[in-house]
Amino acid sequence: MSENYVAPGQQRYLRACMVCSIVMTYARFRDEGCPNCEDFLHLQGSPDQIDSCTSQVFEGIITIANPQRSWVAKWQRLDGYVKGVYATKVSGQLPDDVRTTLEDDGIQYIPRDGSATEAD
Amino acid sequence: MASNSWQFAGDGDESDDDNFNPAPADMSDDENNDNDEEHNHNHRPAGKTVRQASSPVPDEEEEEEEHDEEEDARPAKRSRRDDHDEDEDEEQDEEENEEIDEEEEEEEEDEEDEDDVHGGNRRKRRNKDRRAAFFDIEAEVDDEDEGEDEVGDGEEIEDFIDNAHPDDIADSGRLNDDRRHRELDRRREMEASLDAEKQAEILRERYGKRAPARGYGDMAIVPRRLLLPSVEDPSIWAVRCKEGKEREVIFSIMRRIEERMGTKNEVPITAAFERGGVNSVMKGYIYVEAQRQNDILVALDGILNVYPRSNMHLVEIKDMPDLLRVIKTPNLEPGAWVRLKKPAKHAGDLAQVIDVTENGLEARVRFIPRLDYGVRDDPVFQADGKRKRPGVPGPRPPQRLFSEAEARKRHPRHLQGNPQTNSWNYNGDDFENGFQVKDIKIQQLEVKNVNPSLEEVTKFASGAEDGTENLDLKALAATLKDSAKSVAYVPGDIIEVYEGEQQGVIGKATNVQGDIVTLQVTEGDLAGRTIDVPNKGLRKRFRIGDHVKVIGGSRFRDEVGMVVKIVDDRVTLLTDQTNTEITVFSKDLREASDIGGQGSLGQYSLLDLVQLDATTVGCIVKVDRESVVVLDQNGDTKQVQPSQITNKLPKRKFAVAADRNGSEIRLDDVVREYGGQQRQGKIIHVHRSYIFLHTTTTNENAGVFVTRANGVTTVAAKGGRNTATAGPDLSSMNPALKRNPAANGKQMAAPRTFGPDRAINQTVVIRRGGHKGLLGIVKDTTDTHARVELHSKGKIITIPKADLSFKDKITGKTIDINQRGGSRGGFGGGGRGGGEFGSRTPMASGGSDRTPAWGSSRSTARTPAWNRDAGGSRTPAWNDGSRTVNPYDGSRTPYGGATAYGGIGSRTPAWHSGSRTPAPDGFGHGSKTPAWSAGSDSWGSKTPGYGASAPTPGASGDAWGYTPGAGGGNSSSAYDAPTPGGGLSAPTPGAALNAPTPGAYSAPTPAPVSAPTPGAWQGGWGSGDAVSAPTPGALGAPTPAAYYSAPTPAAYGGAAETPGGAPGYADDD
Repeated sequence: MSENYVAPGQQRYLRACMVCSIVMTYARFRDEGCPNCEDFLHLQGSPDQIDSCTSQVFEGIITIANPQRSWVAKWQRLDGYVKGVYATKVSGQLPDDVRTTLEDDGIQYIPRDGSATEAD
Repeated sequence: MASNSWQFAGDGDESDDDNFNPAPADMSDDENNDNDEEHNHNHRPAGKTVRQASSPVPDEEEEEEEHDEEEDARPAKRSRRDDHDEDEDEEQDEEENEEIDEEEEEEEEDEEDEDDVHGGNRRKRRNKDRRAAFFDIEAEVDDEDEGEDEVGDGEEIEDFIDNAHPDDIADSGRLNDDRRHRELDRRREMEASLDAEKQAEILRERYGKRAPARGYGDMAIVPRRLLLPSVEDPSIWAVRCKEGKEREVIFSIMRRIEERMGTKNEVPITAAFERGGVNSVMKGYIYVEAQRQNDILVALDGILNVYPRSNMHLVEIKDMPDLLRVIKTPNLEPGAWVRLKKPAKHAGDLAQVIDVTENGLEARVRFIPRLDYGVRDDPVFQADGKRKRPGVPGPRPPQRLFSEAEARKRHPRHLQGNPQTNSWNYNGDDFENGFQVKDIKIQQLEVKNVNPSLEEVTKFASGAEDGTENLDLKALAATLKDSAKSVAYVPGDIIEVYEGEQQGVIGKATNVQGDIVTLQVTEGDLAGRTIDVPNKGLRKRFRIGDHVKVIGGSRFRDEVGMVVKIVDDRVTLLTDQTNTEITVFSKDLREASDIGGQGSLGQYSLLDLVQLDATTVGCIVKVDRESVVVLDQNGDTKQVQPSQITNKLPKRKFAVAADRNGSEIRLDDVVREYGGQQRQGKIIHVHRSYIFLHTTTTNENAGVFVTRANGVTTVAAKGGRNTATAGPDLSSMNPALKRNPAANGKQMAAPRTFGPDRAINQTVVIRRGGHKGLLGIVKDTTDTHARVELHSKGKIITIPKADLSFKDKITGKTIDINQRGGSRGGFGGGGRGGGEFGSRTPMASGGSDRTPAWGSSRSTARTPAWNRDAGGSRTPAWNDGSRTVNPYDGSRTPYGGATAYGGIGSRTPAWHSGSRTPAPDGFGHGSKTPAWSAGSDSWGSKTPGYGASAPTPGASGDAWGYTPGAGGGNSSSAYDAPTPGGGLSAPTPGAALNAPTPGAYSAPTPAPVSAPTPGAWQGGWGSGDAVSAPTPGALGAPTPAAYYSAPTPAAYGGAAETPGGAPGYADDD
C-alpha cells in the first residue's frame, strides 16, 4: 500500500522530476513514469529520459497527503498533482528539447531549482 | 473542514473525476468548434466555478439532477461567458463568475446562501456523502464538493488579497484579457493552416490525458503572491526531530499516510516537509501542515526520531512562505573552481571544472592526484584478518601530478594510455596532462566559498603544456565572487552597484560596517543621497586613466599602473614599471597614491637599511617589481637590483649618536637639521655618523632623507628620555657597583627611606624633558622614578625622580623632601633622620679608630656586616652616614636653626639628638645591643668593662670632639664629616682588616691569645657568614676584648687611630 515510502537504504536511488518535483526511486520512474508529467516527459522505460529529466540533486522533501487542501502544495504549485513525496528544490535543468516540447504543449514549465521563484 | 470522506474519494478517483466532468462537456458540446474547445480548456477552472456554484446539494438525488442540469447549462453558460469575458476562468476573477452564476441560477443561489450561512448543514450533507461513498456517481459529486471547498478557499484568499491589492487584480485581468484574445486569434490561424490529421493529433495530445495539464494550467496562471497563506489555510507546525533524520521522518509519515488511507484513522495532516541538510538552519525540524495541533500529535505518534510532544511550535502565517524558499544554486561553469568533498583522499582539494553535464548535475573536474603508486599499498586484510574499513584514510599521499614513469614502474599492467595526448588510465582513474580527471556529482563538490588560493591555482595554471599560464580569470572571478570573503571596501572608494535594486548607482563609500556599505551617491538621480547597500552587489569603479595599484588577489599584486580598459569588473592596466598590460579584477585595485611602492621585494622592504658596498649604505625608498630605489648615505638615490645589495642591515635599536649639542639621539627620536632646510624627521636608521630620517611632510623618496648626526638638534627624544644624560647608565652595568653600592653615592637614598616614600604627595616641578616646567603631584614612586600627576594635563606620567624638583605646596619654594621629612616629622622625623645621619658619624669615627676592637668584640652579629662593607646592609648606612652627613650637616645646620631645631635652640641639641642619641643607641642599645649582650652574657665581667670602654670610643673625645667642631664651624664641620668619610674609606673594615695591625698588637700580648685572635678574625672575615661569624665572635670577642677593653683605646688611642682616622683628624685638627 505504501508505494511512496522509500526505505532509508533505498533513498540513494531517489530522483526528483524536474518538472513536477515528485520524488521517487529510479526504478519507479522507469517502471511507472512520472505520475504527473508522463504525458510529455515519457519517462517510463526510458533511462535516458529519466537521466535528463529527473535529478538526483534535490532538497527539502515534502510529503503531500492532500494536494487540494494543503497550502504547501498550493505554494509549491503541486495542487492538482497526485499525492506523494515532492522536493522543495530540484537542481538541474531540463534539456532544451524537452523544454521546447513543454512550451509547444502549452505547459508552463516552472523551474524547480529556485531560478524562477521570486520573480513574482 | 477536512472530512475524511471527500478526501478519500477525491484522492482515490481524482483522475476519473477530472476526466469525467470535462470530458463529456468537451465531447458533447462541440465537435467542430475548436475554438470552443479551446476555451473550454482554458476555462476549466470556470467549469469548476460553475460546479461550485451548483454543488451545494442536499442529497444525492438532487445532486444528480443538478448535475444533469448543470451539464445542460454548461455550454450555454460557456458561450455566454466567452462573449462576456474571456478571462473569467481565472481564479482571481471568480467573484465575477459567481455573480454571473448567481444571476443565472437563482435557485441555486439560495442554496448557496444557505450553505454559506449554515455550516452545520453542510456537514450533515457530507455525512450522507460518506454513506454513499461507494457509488460511482458519488465520486463525481464529491469531486464537485471538493472543488467547492478548494475554490471556496480560493475565494477566501482572494477576498483576503483583494483587500490588499484591489488594483492589481483588475489590471492583471485586463492585461490578460488582451493577451488572450490575441493568442487565441493566433492559434486559430495556425490551426486552420494545419491539416486535419495533424490537428487531430494535436488535439489528442493536448486533451488525451488532462489531469496533469490541468494542474499546470492552474500553476502557470496564479502568481505566487496570490498564493500567500491565509488564516483559512492549514497551519504549519515545526516539530523537533533528530538531526539528519529529517528525510526518513518524512518518508515515515508518507508511509503512515498511505497505510492508513481509507481506514478510520486516516492521518489528519495535509502535508509535511523538511528543509534539512548539513548546513541548513532548519535542520533538526520537520514541518507539518495540519488544521489542528492535535492532528499532528496523532499523525506523528510513534514515528521514530521525531518528538512532537517535547517541542512543537506554530509557524506564523507570514513566515510560512519562507519555509519553502528556494535559493538557486549557482550553475557551475567550465573553468570554475570547486573543492572536492567526496573521495575522502581528495577531500578539500581544489579542482577545476572541465565540463558540466547538460542537466547540471554532474561535472567533469580535474585535480591534482594523490597517488602513492602502491608504495603504501597495505594489504586489504589487516593482521587480525578483518577487512580494513574503507574510507578511513591513513595519511594521504601528497598532491603530485601524475607520473607515467612511476606508474609504469609499479603497475605496468594497470596503466593504459596514449603518450601523445598524455592521457592515461591508471588503476581505473583517468589522468590527463598529469591531472586526474573525474566525473563527480555536484553534490560531492563544494561550490560555494571555494576561495582558491593563488598557490593552488597556479599549480593548475603552470600545468599547461607550453608552460604558459593560462589562468582563466573569468572563471576565477566567478568563483571568487561567490566566496564569503568579501571585498574590503574602505571609505573613499568609488563604488558601483551592479546587482540588485540599486543597480547602476555610483557613489563614494562613506562608511563600511560589516557587509553594509554606506554610499554617498555621486551620479544620477539619487546624487547626494546616502544609501546603504550590501557588500555583495558592489564593485569598485575606476575610470580609464586612473592610476591604480593592485592590492591583492592576483600575482600582479603591488603593480601600479594606469587603467586602459574596463570590461565589467575586469580592469586592464598598463603598468608603470614594465609597460605591460595586465588584467585584474576591480576589487583587487585601489586608487594609487603616488608615493612609492609599499610592500617588499624579497627580503627587502621599504625603509630597510641595506649595504650596497663596503662604504655605502642606503635606505630603500621605493620597491618596484624587480628593483628597489635606494637613498644612500650621501643623499643620492639609485635604482638597484636586489642582487646588487650586499645585505640588509638589521635595525639596531640601541644605536646611539650624538647630536649637535652632544645629546644622545637614538632611533625614533625626532630631530631637526640645524642648518640647511631645517628639515625635521624621525630617525629611522643610525649608521655611523649618518642618520636617516623619515618625514611625513614630503613624499620625495618616500619621505626619507639623510643627514649627518652632528648636524641635527633634538626636538623630542622618544619617551621623553633625558637627553642631557648622554650615554648609558654605566653604574647599572657595573656589577661591582651593584654589589657594592657603597661606592656609589647615588644609591645612598635607599636605606634612608623607611615607610612610604616621602616624595609621595609632594608637589613637584619637572625639571627636564618633554614635560619640563610642569607642576604636578607625585602619586607613586619607585626607587628611581616617580609617577607624577600633572596639574595641567590631568594625566599621570612616569619620570625619573632626578628630574623632579620638590616644591612647597603653599609657598612654592623649592624644598628638600628629606630635610622636609625631618622638619615635618617634628621629633619623630627629626629623631629618625638625625639619628641616621648623626649616629653614624660618630660610629664611623668610632669605627675608624676602634675598628679592630669593635670588630673583635662584636664579631657575632657585627663582624660580617662590617666585613661586608660590600654587601652588608650596614655598610651603606655607615657610608651613608659618613658621607651623607656632610651635606646634611651643612644644609641642615642652617635649617636646624630655622625650623625644627630652631625650637630647641642651638644646634648642639640637634647634634645631641642626632649624633649622641644614636651613638649610645647604636653602641649601647640599638641594633648592636645583641652583640653586646651576647658579649656581656658570656663575659659578664666585661660588659661593664665594655660599657666603660664603649663610651670611651663612642664619646671618644674624637668623635665628640670634632662633632661639635663640625657644629661649631659650619664649613669646617662639613669638611669634618669627610673625615669619617675618609674613615668611610671602606678601609674601615679594611682597616679592621689590616688585621696586621691588631695582629701586631696582639703579638706583643700573650702569644696564645694572640694566635686565636687573628685566626678567629680570619675566619670571621673570610667566611663572612653570619653563621660562622658568631663562632669567631665567641672566640675572638673575649680575646681582643680583653686587650682592647682597657688598653686598646688608651694605648692605641693615637696609634691605632692613626692609620684609619689619622688623615681625617689631621685635617680637622
